[in-house]
Amino acid sequence: MTDELDIPRVLVADDDADISTLVAIAVRRSGLTLIDKRSDGESAWHAIRELRPDVVVLDVSMPGMTGLEVCRALRADPDLVGTRVLLLSAAVDDASRQAGLDAGADEYMLKPFSPRELIDRLSRLAGPAEPAQSGVAR
Amino acid sequence: MNVATLVNKLGVDAPSPLLKQSPTTIMFAIAVVMSLAIPQLSVSDPVSLASASVGIVLATAFAAFLTVRPSLQHLALIVPTIDFLAIGALRYGTGDSSSIFASLVVLPVVWFAVEEGRRYILFAFLGTAVALLLPFLLGNTAGGPPSLLRAAYASVAFAIAAAVINELSRHARLRLYSARALSDQRVEALNKNLEHTERLAESEAKLRQAELLYRGLWGAVTEQSVIGTDVTGRIDAWNPGAARLLDLPAEAVQDIRYVDEFHLAEELEDRSRELEYPAGATVLNPGFSALVEPARLGSADVREWTYVRHDGERIPVELSVTPRTGENGEIIGYLFVAFDMTKAREVARLKDEFVGLISHELRTPLSSILGYLELIRDEDETELSADQLQYLAVAERNAHRLLRLVGDLLFTAQVESGTFTLDLQRQDLSPILSASLESARPQAAATGITLRADVPAGFFAEVDAVRLGQACDNLISNAIKFTPRGGTVTVALAGAERDAVVRVSDTGIGIAQDELDKVFGKFFRASTATRNAVPGVGLGLAITKAIVKAHGGDMDVASEEGVGTAFSLSVPLVNEPALV
Repeated sequence: MTDELDIPRVLVADDDADISTLVAIAVRRSGLTLIDKRSDGESAWHAIRELRPDVVVLDVSMPGMTGLEVCRALRADPDLVGTRVLLLSAAVDDASRQAGLDAGADEYMLKPFSPRELIDRLSRLAGPAEPAQSGVAR
Repeated sequence: MNVATLVNKLGVDAPSPLLKQSPTTIMFAIAVVMSLAIPQLSVSDPVSLASASVGIVLATAFAAFLTVRPSLQHLALIVPTIDFLAIGALRYGTGDSSSIFASLVVLPVVWFAVEEGRRYILFAFLGTAVALLLPFLLGNTAGGPPSLLRAAYASVAFAIAAAVINELSRHARLRLYSARALSDQRVEALNKNLEHTERLAESEAKLRQAELLYRGLWGAVTEQSVIGTDVTGRIDAWNPGAARLLDLPAEAVQDIRYVDEFHLAEELEDRSRELEYPAGATVLNPGFSALVEPARLGSADVREWTYVRHDGERIPVELSVTPRTGENGEIIGYLFVAFDMTKAREVARLKDEFVGLISHELRTPLSSILGYLELIRDEDETELSADQLQYLAVAERNAHRLLRLVGDLLFTAQVESGTFTLDLQRQDLSPILSASLESARPQAAATGITLRADVPAGFFAEVDAVRLGQACDNLISNAIKFTPRGGTVTVALAGAERDAVVRVSDTGIGIAQDELDKVFGKFFRASTATRNAVPGVGLGLAITKAIVKAHGGDMDVASEEGVGTAFSLSVPLVNEPALV
C-alpha cells in the first residue's frame, strides 16, 4: 500500500495516554502523519498488520504484548519488512537496551526523552528511505 | 570409746571436792565411833575430839558447797587444809602420840599431792607437820623430844610419799594431755575430712548442673549453626543448628569431616589470595587457614560465606569465627557460628525489585512532565514572557533533580542486586575527566568557584567511560556543592605505582573526622552538610564508590572541617604512562 502523498505514516503505542499524546505531537511536528494511537500491545499488533505504517513507536512495557514482543512479531512478518521501529523504555540498564536492539528495533530511546530528540530520530527514521531509493533509481 | 568419757569415769581428771573429801569424812567418822565405843581406845581430850569433828563437818560441808558451785573451785584446797587441822585435833584428842588415827593424815596429803605443781609437795609436808605437831604448837610438850622427832620423821615420810604421788600424777596428766591432744587432732582431721567430702559433693552437684545447662543451651541453639573444630579444622562439635542447616547429624561429621569441606571452594581460594599467603605457607589445609587466619591472629572475624550442603545446595551465611583457648591461653581450636542469610538475601532482593519498580513508575510521569515542559518552551505560535520562561526553568530544573534522584536509587538497587554491568574498554582517562570538568563549569561559574584542572593525557585504564564519567561528575559536583563562594576545586590526574589516581580537592566546609569512614555509606549525610543545608540524599558517594570498586579500584578521603576535603579514586593502570 503506497501513500499518494508519500508522507510516512506513523503508529504510536503506549499504555500511558499522556506519553502517547506527547509522541503524537512529536510525530506531527516532525511532519509525519499519525495514523493510529494504541494503548496495549495486542491491539497495536493488529493495527500494524492492518494499517501497515511506515514507522512504529512502541513502549516496551505494555499490557497484552510488550513492545519487544510486538517488535519481534513484526520482524518475523514478511509483509512488514520495510517498517521502521522505535522503542521507548523506562528501563535504564544496558541489558534492556540490548534486548530492544536484539528484538529488531531501529531506534531505542529512554524515558524521559526530549520531544526535540524524538522529532530528530523520527525524521531520520522516516527520511533515509527516500535518498536510498533515489540512490537506487540513479 | 571416747577418751574424755574414760577420764571422767576414772575421776582422775576432775573429781568433785565432795568425792575427794568423802574418804576422809568416812574414815574420820569410823575413828570417832571407834574412840567412843572401844574402851581400850581412850579419849584423852574430849574438847579436841569435838573440835576435830566440827572441823571435819565444816570441811565436808564446804566441799559439798564447792561441788554445787564449780565457779569457786579455786578455793577447794581449803578443804584438805581444814582436814589437816581436824586430823591433828583428832590425834591429840585420842591419845596424842599414842593415837592410832595419825595415819588418817595420808588422805589430805594425797589431795595436795595430786594437784599440778611441785609446790603442793611442800603444802602436803607443812599440812602433815601441822597435824602431827599440833600439840607442840599448842604448847603441850608432854611427849618430849621422841614424840617431836616421830612427828617430824612422819612429816618427811609423808612429804616423800606426796612427792612420789605428785610425780606419778604429773606423768599421768602429761599422758592424758598428749592423749587428748592426739584425740583433738583426730577429731579435727575427721571434721576436715567431712568438710572435704561435703565440698566435693557440692562441686559435683554444681558440675552436674553446669553440664545440664550446657547441654540445654547447646540443644536450644537451633537457628544458628555452631561448629567446633580442632586447630587442623577437624570437626569436634556440631550443634542441632548445624545439623539442621547442613542437613547432617553430628555422628556423620564429628571427628570425621573438616569444616572447610562445607564451604564453597572458590570463596576459600579467593580469600586465600586476599590474605596473601606466601605459596605453601599453610601446607596442611589452605582452605581452613583462609577461614581462621584473622581469628588466629586475634581479631574478630565476621564475614559472609557460602555453605554447601551434601546435596549441593548453597546457603549464604554470616559467619563469625573465634578461637577456642586452652588452660594456658593457647589456641586449641575454633568455633564457627553461622546465621542463615537466605531470608535476608531474599528480603534484599525484594527490596531491590521494589526500588526498581518504584523508580520505573516514577520515570514515566517524569517523562510526561519534562516532555510537555519542553513542548511549551518550543511552542512557536505564542511568544513566552521572561517571567514565564523563568517559571519553566524552575519546573524543569526540579524535574531533572527528581529524575537524577530516581536514577541514583535505581543504580543503587542495581549495584546491590548485582545486575549492574560495565562496558570496559582500554582508554585514556584524560578525556573522561575533561568532559566531567566541562559539564561542571556552569555549576562552578554560577556559584563563584574557581575550577582548576591538571589532567595530563597518557594514563590508560580498562574503564566504562560512561560510568567512570558519572563517578568523576559526582566527585566534582560534590566538591563544588560543598565549597563556599570564592573557593577553589582542583581536579588532578596522576600515576601512583600501578594505579591511576584522580584527586578532587576543594577548599570547602569539610567533613568531621569521625564521619569520614561513613561518607561512602548509603543515605549518609555529613553533619557539615545538614548544618549548611546543602541539598542531597546521600547516595552520590555510595554510587561513586560502587563504580570505582567495580573497576577494581578504590576510593579514599581526607578532610579537615573548615579547610577542605580531598577525595581520590584509583583504578589500575593498564600500561605505564609514557615517559616524557
